[in-house]
Amino acid sequence: MRRIFSQAGKEIAQFRRDKLTLALAFLLPSVAMLLYGYATRLESKNIPVAVRNFDSGALSRKYIDTIFANGQLVNAPWHDPVHNKFTASSVVSSSAMGPLDLGEAKATITIPPEFSRKIRQGQASDVQVIIDATDVNNARVIKNSIIATTGYFLRSQKLSQVKNLVTTKVRLWFNPGREEALYVAPGATAVILWIFPCLLSALAMSREKEQGTILQLYASSITSVELVVGKALAYTAIAFVQALIVISMAMALFGIRLVGDPFIYLISTTVFLASSVLFGLFVGTRANSQSAAVQMVATTGFTTALLLSGFLYPLRNITYPLSLICNILPARYFVEASRNAFVRGSDFSSQIHLPVALAICAAVLLVGASRIMRRMQLSGGG
Amino acid sequence: MSSYRRNYRHQIRALIVKELRQIMRDKQLIFLLFFMPVLQLFLYGFALSPDVDHLRLGVIDHAASPTSREAIAALVENGVFDLTAAGGTEATLAKNVRDGNLEAGLIVPPEFEREIKHGTTTSMQVMLDGVDANTAGIANGYISQIISTFNRQLVTGSQISRELISPQISFAYNPGLISSWFFVPGVIALVLNLVSTLVSSAAVIREKDSGTLEQLLMTPVNSLQILLAKIIPLSMLLMITVLVCLLISSLVFHVPFRGNIFLFLFVSFLAILVGIAIGIALAAFSQNQRQSLLTSFFVNLPVIQLSGAVAPLESIPEFFQFLSLFDPLRYYVTCVRAIILKGAGLEAIWPDVLALAAFAVILLALSTSKFGRQLA
Repeated sequence: MRRIFSQAGKEIAQFRRDKLTLALAFLLPSVAMLLYGYATRLESKNIPVAVRNFDSGALSRKYIDTIFANGQLVNAPWHDPVHNKFTASSVVSSSAMGPLDLGEAKATITIPPEFSRKIRQGQASDVQVIIDATDVNNARVIKNSIIATTGYFLRSQKLSQVKNLVTTKVRLWFNPGREEALYVAPGATAVILWIFPCLLSALAMSREKEQGTILQLYASSITSVELVVGKALAYTAIAFVQALIVISMAMALFGIRLVGDPFIYLISTTVFLASSVLFGLFVGTRANSQSAAVQMVATTGFTTALLLSGFLYPLRNITYPLSLICNILPARYFVEASRNAFVRGSDFSSQIHLPVALAICAAVLLVGASRIMRRMQLSGGG
Repeated sequence: MSSYRRNYRHQIRALIVKELRQIMRDKQLIFLLFFMPVLQLFLYGFALSPDVDHLRLGVIDHAASPTSREAIAALVENGVFDLTAAGGTEATLAKNVRDGNLEAGLIVPPEFEREIKHGTTTSMQVMLDGVDANTAGIANGYISQIISTFNRQLVTGSQISRELISPQISFAYNPGLISSWFFVPGVIALVLNLVSTLVSSAAVIREKDSGTLEQLLMTPVNSLQILLAKIIPLSMLLMITVLVCLLISSLVFHVPFRGNIFLFLFVSFLAILVGIAIGIALAAFSQNQRQSLLTSFFVNLPVIQLSGAVAPLESIPEFFQFLSLFDPLRYYVTCVRAIILKGAGLEAIWPDVLALAAFAVILLALSTSKFGRQLA
């Protein structure tokens, strides 16, 4: 036991000496929190939409005003790519695609001639809408917005021929204002607290290998498990400081509050930070140099935490064989735990599986790292 | 004079051959150049999908009438919702939504059928999990569209009857709304930037690390030649990386290539130069590879996050929008999407190409002069 603590103490002392590592430990997570928290918004606002109105009546003008009334879509000027001499690739010149080709609008609306007169006479009139679907998600947002405002316009102008017999009262739970920050900020804490603690511990472990100081450890009486646990303790303590910084930033900047059961969140956080550190140690034992360790963390840890954790889009959307990997990713469980704690307000019993899954991940990583350590020790000694 | 020139070219050619041999021997560099881009493309292409479908729906139908069953069937029909739980009490339904076991809950009131028969408006209660604000918003839109179609059917007896204004909506460039068509071009840009930065800093710092840089300087070549001999082979190899990415994009993800391939290769070349310049700067400012790799985190994180490769930039706060103007990757992402998906030509993307070119020139000038000064 004493050997474990002295190993941990040595680790902390070494950590405090290197300025770049210190900046990496505390400055980078803060920068990352700012960037992920503020610069991740899936749903566009102020979407530019160009309108071409061939009608001269008042009704069409009112309709256009209604489309832009709720502020999600904003009116963009209609430009046609007139000079087409550079390429032949621009498919249509003066068609309804012009503003989309130029990238000046995300959708175009064309209102046909005689629109107002026809509708006043009770005849249907087609409005042509073309949406730039390169951004699939926002193409859906724009479509829904136009259909919804058209429906509202018909009702408010008493033009609807259909009485709405069935209506729905939709209540949005947990996030009635649909603020994306509530979704993004808790998830971002999980991604950041996965990447940076494991980066530090991977560096520490591979440094021992690179500088050959690991041979001294082999020669001492410390066992491989003690070595891994000692290092894990030290870096989990550092990870706690990182967690404090990142989570308080998220609370201060994005207005999230702890609404769930605090006890289970604390347990989940502890186990999660430990598993992140252990993953780093695991990578560190595999890598032969510090730069190789950084690259392994960047390619395996970074991308998987970002893409397979459910941080951006729901987990159920991930294609089948790939979706299996999600189940062994600690970050995936902590994204859930953190949304439970800060948005959903879940109680203790409904999420007991999260710390359990995290603990299994941590245990597997601990065993894995010490195994590799011991094998290296033996082959190195023989 | 002419013999000096010939000499100069000979020296560079010799250095380029040396560089290429060194790169081909370096497993780490080969991994970065060819395997990492492929890996990332696959991950992003298959993992990121904003589709809103198969949401788990729980239903309590107090009316249990033909019309209420039709309404529920209408909601489930096109795959937006999957009927996962039916019956039970309102409390258990609410708990299932609260615990995240269901994304939506629907309660049909007992008076549903009676009120419709009397021609009065009846109201169904829907609870929607709002944690994922984006999905909830789109799902909410779908619900109201489904219900309004249902109403038309209920009143007029046919689905085809239409309102006076019905927008004829079509999706341009990606009519099937395939999400990988959005992400794959973005990731090509992201990966190319990442790889060119890492590879060039590794190639420069390696000489610094092992002290071979001084040896090179003792030979008759100057520092500009050394750098040119690094930039030329690397940019050639990175152009191959671009082609590999493009091949995967069309063979695996079936993303159409609608633009001009030469324009695409030209802007990619500019982006590669930007990446190489950033890499050289990283190497110039660091003492060893560990330091340059760690510093690269500070550069790559904002560059990627503010580029719009993964999430759109339109709705981020104004200050961050302003910051993104200084992100060279942002312009490349715009170019790649516009060329690949929209078939855009120079007349549409020239401001972005110009910005990218400016970044390439400025960053290359800054990083080579910093490197040169260090050697002098």
